[in-house]
Amino acid sequence: MPTVTIDGETIDVSGDKPLLQECLNMGTELPHFCYHPAMSAPANCRQCMVEVGTPVRDRETGELKLDDEGNPEIQWMPKLMTSCTVQVTDGMVVKTHRTSEKAKRGQKDTLEFLLINHPLDCPICDQAGKCPLQIQAYKYGPEGSRFEFRKVHKPKRVKLGPRVTLDAERCINCTRCTRFTEEISGSCQLTISERGVKNYPITMPGQPFDDPYSMNTIDLCPVGALTSTDSRFKARAWEMSRTPSITTLNARGSNCYYMVRDNLIMEVVPRQNMQVNEYWLPDEERVGWAYERFNDMRPAHGPELRSDGELTPVSWERATDAASKALGAVDPSEILFLGSAHATVEDNYLLKRLAEALGADAPRYIPHIDAGHDDDWLRTDDRTPNAQGCERLGIHPIDADVVRSRVEAGEIKAVYVLDDDPVGAGLFTEDQLDDLIVVLHYYNTTNQTLPVTDVALPAAMVVETVGTYVNDHGHAQTVRPAKTIKEVNRTLMMATGKSRPDMHGTPFDRWHNDDNQVDCLPGWEVLPMVAAHLDIDLSYKGPKAIMAEVSEENPAFAGATHEAMGLQGVRLEDVGEPA
Amino acid sequence: MEATNGKTKAGDWQNFERILLPPIRDLHKLDVYEAEYDGYQAIQKVLKEWEPGEVVNEVKQANVRGRGGAAFNAGLKWSFMPPKGDRPRYLACNADESEPGTYKDRQLMEYNPHLMFEGILLANYAMQMDACYVYVRGEYVDWIDHMERELEKLYAKGYVGENIFGSDFSTDIILHKGAGAYICGEETSLMNSLEGKRGYPRIKPPFPAQKGLWGNPTTINNVETLAHVTLVMRHGADWFSGIGAPTHPGSTIYGISGHLNRPGVYEYPTGMLITDLIEKVCGGMRDGKKLKAVVPGGSSVPPLHADMIEGVTMDADSLREAGSMMGTGGMLVLNEDTDMVTYLRRVNHFYQHESCGQCTPCREGTGWLEAIVTRIDEGEGNLRDLDLLIDLCDQMEGRTICAFADAAAWPVRYTIERFREDFEAKCKPAVFDTGGVTISA
Repeated sequence: MPTVTIDGETIDVSGDKPLLQECLNMGTELPHFCYHPAMSAPANCRQCMVEVGTPVRDRETGELKLDDEGNPEIQWMPKLMTSCTVQVTDGMVVKTHRTSEKAKRGQKDTLEFLLINHPLDCPICDQAGKCPLQIQAYKYGPEGSRFEFRKVHKPKRVKLGPRVTLDAERCINCTRCTRFTEEISGSCQLTISERGVKNYPITMPGQPFDDPYSMNTIDLCPVGALTSTDSRFKARAWEMSRTPSITTLNARGSNCYYMVRDNLIMEVVPRQNMQVNEYWLPDEERVGWAYERFNDMRPAHGPELRSDGELTPVSWERATDAASKALGAVDPSEILFLGSAHATVEDNYLLKRLAEALGADAPRYIPHIDAGHDDDWLRTDDRTPNAQGCERLGIHPIDADVVRSRVEAGEIKAVYVLDDDPVGAGLFTEDQLDDLIVVLHYYNTTNQTLPVTDVALPAAMVVETVGTYVNDHGHAQTVRPAKTIKEVNRTLMMATGKSRPDMHGTPFDRWHNDDNQVDCLPGWEVLPMVAAHLDIDLSYKGPKAIMAEVSEENPAFAGATHEAMGLQGVRLEDVGEPA
Repeated sequence: MEATNGKTKAGDWQNFERILLPPIRDLHKLDVYEAEYDGYQAIQKVLKEWEPGEVVNEVKQANVRGRGGAAFNAGLKWSFMPPKGDRPRYLACNADESEPGTYKDRQLMEYNPHLMFEGILLANYAMQMDACYVYVRGEYVDWIDHMERELEKLYAKGYVGENIFGSDFSTDIILHKGAGAYICGEETSLMNSLEGKRGYPRIKPPFPAQKGLWGNPTTINNVETLAHVTLVMRHGADWFSGIGAPTHPGSTIYGISGHLNRPGVYEYPTGMLITDLIEKVCGGMRDGKKLKAVVPGGSSVPPLHADMIEGVTMDADSLREAGSMMGTGGMLVLNEDTDMVTYLRRVNHFYQHESCGQCTPCREGTGWLEAIVTRIDEGEGNLRDLDLLIDLCDQMEGRTICAFADAAAWPVRYTIERFREDFEAKCKPAVFDTGGVTISA
């Protein structure tokens, strides 16, 4: 294994990564803009410059030449080298800005150049606070500027496409965005236009930047040149708390951060997980409605009961009591339990336990398949996050024809739905459910089953609960609450604190304020309440304990404890026919 | 240096018979080139009698130094090509002549294009190339049209294409029109441009010989270099290396412009005294004015002060010693009335306009240099601006992917260094605040 000496510290390196990556891996920060580990290194920002030397070898023998003190003689490259393009060779000696005045000066000079035509509108820039240019200019840049001329003016507020807005003046031409469309997404929609100091990235004339992964360029952009049309100017970087989690609009479970302020999800940004989504996130997971469903579309009241034909708010105690009475009023064989591929493994497991305890048929789930949506990357035909988790629990897709004919025949008297919308999904019509007792755990007020629901129980969504999802490749991942709910729940409170690197997030995020809190409960809290009214004991200390039991009992979940899943998840064994 | 007893490295240049641009009427036509200039004899002889490797050695031995500016031994460059494998190999002929003050390739393409075509065939044979792309500056419309017609004739006669001249060697020549970017004359960005990409220079290594056009082994030569190859193969390496300066042999086309009585394009041996070129070839300075500066090889090389040119000859070594470069041989001569600040402003504007914008120091630096020099030229500059200019040159040189930043910074650095009085005269006087009493210095 080759060794390389960086600032006097000798380390083993793999040799297949550029010097910059090796430095970053060993914890030596080198300022850089254009380099990204997933893409080619164009070395155009000229920021990561270091001094590089290689040991001198005798031409004849190939032996290392030694100096008078017996140390290998080093031949230094005459120019500063961009570390992103230097392939590490054995015995290489590197001096970064920490030990080399020349490298330090080189990095400072480049930053001075980068800033001369940059508008420096940080006070109104969305990138401020998380901006590599801003951060690195403070750390490595000059104290001031010697540039006393008019800055170059370029197009601003350019709508590149439906989701991305360009401010060309802020652009530093690192070409990360154009390389993303060329090398990663393959749409080749962006290119650099104009020449010299006037250049900026743009699409072909008349072509929108509608790449389904276009918003990744916003995250790649090391300045505020590319911004989200949807969330620009809505919240500053330091006002939002950042919670690591996963996205739930398809079965891939791409890792993300939910950016929250005052219990509103402001933005969804990708989180690196090399086993799932690498660095990327499809646009569909982060455009308006993808996160607004966590905010505006939530129920305004807590649980409701239908009385005199109207849904009327009641307490959770009364609501769960009513739900249990509904289940107790009919023969267990006449109850249809619908699990959900939207819900966590924990909630589905409790529902299954409840059905078993009552002696009813095992729950089924409604598949949400959008054929043709799969792109062999991060989008799947399955538009739910946990179908695989249901299957592994032994909860299978519902046979629509069979269940419809049973409803028609009057064989089903009560329907208990966990986090889904049977009417909206086209499983039943409103008329079919009209005469039945319907208990519904639901997320959004747009749920079309609500008009025929007798007991409506608002359920905590992915951003409010603790639980487990299994993606289509069998990767089990836990989620943590990004925002708080109205009810006081110790498990969730603890998890909220732990989920953020800085415990409770930024002081600008008034998460403890009850504005925007939804009066909902996670399934793993409501289902035991319902069961308790039926004298069934489903009490657990929390989702962690449920998962511990599931992973213990069910070989399809072997090893999937919350501790093991952590922030990166675990890949479950494929056990063939699930239990 | 040289110049003893009226003899120079250029030898008996007064009686030099032009070899690149001989005085033959209609030489640009194929039949004339063949009938009156032994056209396409060298290639036929080489195809029959020479091994490819021998051609490379001959050119190496003749010491044909690249005429594009770097003055690197062409044969040595050819020998960097890897052995022939499965992958195609390409020659690229750099005819994207854009350096301000340079117009020598244009003369060749206008008056003797077949010398270049024959050189291309020889080079293609020597390196076993599958094709040669001639990247011609887009503004040379007439000569592109003409060369296209001549090339058709060559294909029709079987001089280019399958089994040329009845041999078992096949090769193609493709003319490609540039779209007007100076940077596309840089060899790696020329390759990107040929591939249909943005003309951004590439990072070296890998060098073109390893990974050039479409990732295949490629060599890039200047028009004039390839024309010389024909002459070398026609007359032999010894004949060639006997012409002109021993370390930089051959003839060269001097494009001489500026305040002269007879500016123009002249073909003479290398190693001509700059003073001879000015006084004897170009008939001296116009209106009897004094010489102020000579820019010997295109706008990007350091200008020489009139004091510095005594005994300096036009070859790479002598010019390096004098503190400049041979460049393209496009010589710019400036008289005493020239304001070097205005001159530099114009040069800076060119580099600001032509920077491709890929690397930060060049993209931002070229514009900044121009802005400062413009300010000085307009009388608004300060003396400290001169230090800033030199500082910016330090910040640009050697910090970019290609040599463009160097080419933009050198004129600034050396014009200020060698003509500082012009700059100081235009700057506002330094003013020191001494607490109410203002003293001018």
